[in-house]
Amino acid sequence: MTGRERILAVLAGQGADHLPCMPITMTFASDILGAKYLQYVRDHRVMVDAQIKTAELFGFDYVSTISDPTREAADLGANIHWYEDRPPAINEELALLADKSVLSRLQASGPITGRRMEDRIRGIERLRELCGSELLVEGWVEGPCAEAADLRGINRLMMDFSDDPSFVHELFDFTLATAIDFAAAQINAGADLIGVGDAAASLVGPRIYNEFVWPWEKKLVDSIHANGGRVRLHICGNTRRILDGMGTLGCDLVDIDYPVPMDQARAQTGPQQTLAGNLDPVRDVRNGSPETIGQSLAEVLRQAGSRWIVAAGCEIVRDTPHENVRAMTSFAQSHAAHGMIQ
Amino acid sequence: MTDSNELYQAILTGNAKKAHATTQAAIEAGVAPMDLITASMVPAMDQVGRLFEEEEYFVPELLLAGRAMKSAMELLRPLMVASGQKMSARVVIGTVKGDLHDIGKNIVASMLEGSGFEVIDLGADVSPEAFVAAVEQRQPQFVCMSALLTVTMPAMKTTIDALMTAGLRNRVKVLIGGAPVTTEYAREIGADGYSENASTAVGLVRSLLAEA
Repeated sequence: MTGRERILAVLAGQGADHLPCMPITMTFASDILGAKYLQYVRDHRVMVDAQIKTAELFGFDYVSTISDPTREAADLGANIHWYEDRPPAINEELALLADKSVLSRLQASGPITGRRMEDRIRGIERLRELCGSELLVEGWVEGPCAEAADLRGINRLMMDFSDDPSFVHELFDFTLATAIDFAAAQINAGADLIGVGDAAASLVGPRIYNEFVWPWEKKLVDSIHANGGRVRLHICGNTRRILDGMGTLGCDLVDIDYPVPMDQARAQTGPQQTLAGNLDPVRDVRNGSPETIGQSLAEVLRQAGSRWIVAAGCEIVRDTPHENVRAMTSFAQSHAAHGMIQ
Repeated sequence: MTDSNELYQAILTGNAKKAHATTQAAIEAGVAPMDLITASMVPAMDQVGRLFEEEEYFVPELLLAGRAMKSAMELLRPLMVASGQKMSARVVIGTVKGDLHDIGKNIVASMLEGSGFEVIDLGADVSPEAFVAAVEQRQPQFVCMSALLTVTMPAMKTTIDALMTAGLRNRVKVLIGGAPVTTEYAREIGADGYSENASTAVGLVRSLLAEA
């Protein structure tokens, strides 16, 4: 099986020759290529080369265009801080929607902008061209809650839920429309799977998640499916109290981060949900050893069952020893996708 | 005491307007500022921390409670300064250089303030030099640093080194926190403590203060 076939089989609930391995790599991949991260996030050709080189070196089953949270916000006019060798960040003090009234005048940005969103789309086209059907190609969008936090400032958004619910609804309508268009363009460019990064949602409890976040995430998931894509939901952080909702979105793949016990994730999302995760990127993967990583993954497999993909809870951090990353692939390659040791 | 209970409830429910009005009424009725802090504010923020630990409260509720607490503190602080009363300890806090993530740091700052500590919040992207200057000028007992990114964590060590170079390291306890930070890392860089969340950060400061 190719990596792409392997992942698609597991997402469909079918068996595969071995477990897929899909760790998120960004700065780690940039370092593998020897590029500065500023080049990686601003030039899709650098990102593509880094992703392919990293996938080949470690035997990953996929390549991804995840890079940083600011692609959509930058194209919408947000103030972005650039760093030579780190992910760009948004300055909350100067947030685009620090003044709520700006929302009514904010122009939606289509994805073909000649700027940061289009750069990702071009990256997907090139990855599809170079990887053919060997590796799964993943696109990425900011989820409605995460993008709202990017535009409004996360501190403000967290209080807006209580202070001004109707504004939050309007804001989420706006960020949802941006995500739907961006995802559709990435599917058209050849993405097999769209990662929806909605990390800000891990900061809220079930009441706010169910009222404000879930309905908009659901619309995004349904739209991606209607456009022929698949969905990987990535809400890193402690999602224990919102897992029930996450499990009913209909996502093809749900990432589980390390604060959530995998057996709890399995119990709450049900036996049909394909899960990925959930090693601690720092404590388990970077600070561990190949032996401890193998042991930890065996325990995650025991808890997750067969519909599971090997990954850390979030990004592989850049100074992770290479043998530790290889230990993840080795584990995946030595275990059949139905969960039985070969 | 009715006033105390009202302020307690206002903070617990994140009602800033009510917290402000209740505090104003209590002051006019002659309640001592420190009594309001010890009888209402500290217990309320303790309860907020407990509810967070129990996953009944989440970040929005912490921020709302913090804002309510601050609206009361705005009225109390000038009175305490005027009467020469001091908080139990002074804390300088900031997100380290190169890191703009401040929500965790903001929550720790408000939990500490609501727990009776004087908090000097330096904001985000704080250089080692700015931490050193704040320690020199404000003479805190604690320096708290936050980082969300593995790539900005080394700035914690740089800041500790800068405090040592300036001859200030022994004057303060240095505490660190943030998603990628670990107890081992705190030990490795010579920090005095690590806390996983805002609630335990308050407990850590209290226990170190008790040891001092």
